[in-house]
Amino acid sequence: MDELASRRYPVREDMRFQRRSWMVERAGWFVLIAIAVAGLSGIFGNGPASWGHATAGPLSVSYQRFERATRLSPFVFTMAPASGRELTLRLSAPFQRDFEFTSIQPPPLRSSTGPDGIELTFAARADATSQIVIWAHSRHYGLSSITATPNGGAPASFWVFVYP
Amino acid sequence: MDSVIKATVVYFTLWAIIRVSGRRTLGEMTAFDFVLFMIISGSTQRAITGQDYSLTNALLLVATFVALDIGLSIVELKSSLMRRILNAMPMILVENGSLMSDRMRRARITEDNVLASARRLNGLERIDQIKFAILEASGEITIVPAEQAGPAEPMEATSR
Repeated sequence: MDELASRRYPVREDMRFQRRSWMVERAGWFVLIAIAVAGLSGIFGNGPASWGHATAGPLSVSYQRFERATRLSPFVFTMAPASGRELTLRLSAPFQRDFEFTSIQPPPLRSSTGPDGIELTFAARADATSQIVIWAHSRHYGLSSITATPNGGAPASFWVFVYP
Repeated sequence: MDSVIKATVVYFTLWAIIRVSGRRTLGEMTAFDFVLFMIISGSTQRAITGQDYSLTNALLLVATFVALDIGLSIVELKSSLMRRILNAMPMILVENGSLMSDRMRRARITEDNVLASARRLNGLERIDQIKFAILEASGEITIVPAEQAGPAEPMEATSR
């Protein structure tokens, strides 16, 4: 009995098409597994492939390289001890435009905005590193190039890709 | 605009995933499969609606889904190739009492699945009582009994 031959009774079969369907089905399974593995690796956010770190002079930033729209995630800015009692962090315009800030810890003393972004001023201790955590979620899909500049320091640049 | 795009992407992605998962999943739905489908619908519903719970958005989504469904049914009517791609084809699993094991293995159907359908639909007990078992495009297994197959033999009474 040739199982791969098409029968015409009681139903009209097309085993050539059926075999192709099975091949597409198998390929589809591999795609689904690949998506799950990619998800574990963090390509779709929140995993090893997504953990980003940028450093420039006294400033270092930890962030998620891959984000998903509306998902809340932290941007952690660590700054070396400041010379004065205040420290300033300037965030470029794309960060302000593409992300909605849910909370800033600690709360800034002052904030101001200009064409080159938002400037946040925090109280600082001269003898200790300062950590500022901004919880934000993106409402914008695609790539955002962000620059964070501490007062008087070199800017740290990084990018975040936001999935829909 | 994005509601229509999201609905279209979700419609075709879900269709592709369900199609790739094979007919077995749809036709022979177990209690766990049902739970799985509930989870799938819950996950996609949140992604489609987002934080927009307005009536306009709901109507827009429903209109898009129904329009896509009507569109595909028209495409199916016009093209036999599309009908096969969208809905799969019926396939014989048992022919004159013989299991077509290679087909069954590829379609992920076991002898038990065929026998369960034979018992449920026709009261048959053995494969040799089946003339044809057909895996329909819907995923169900239909049974054509062999001509000589009479009613199932009554079970012997057992004394205790």
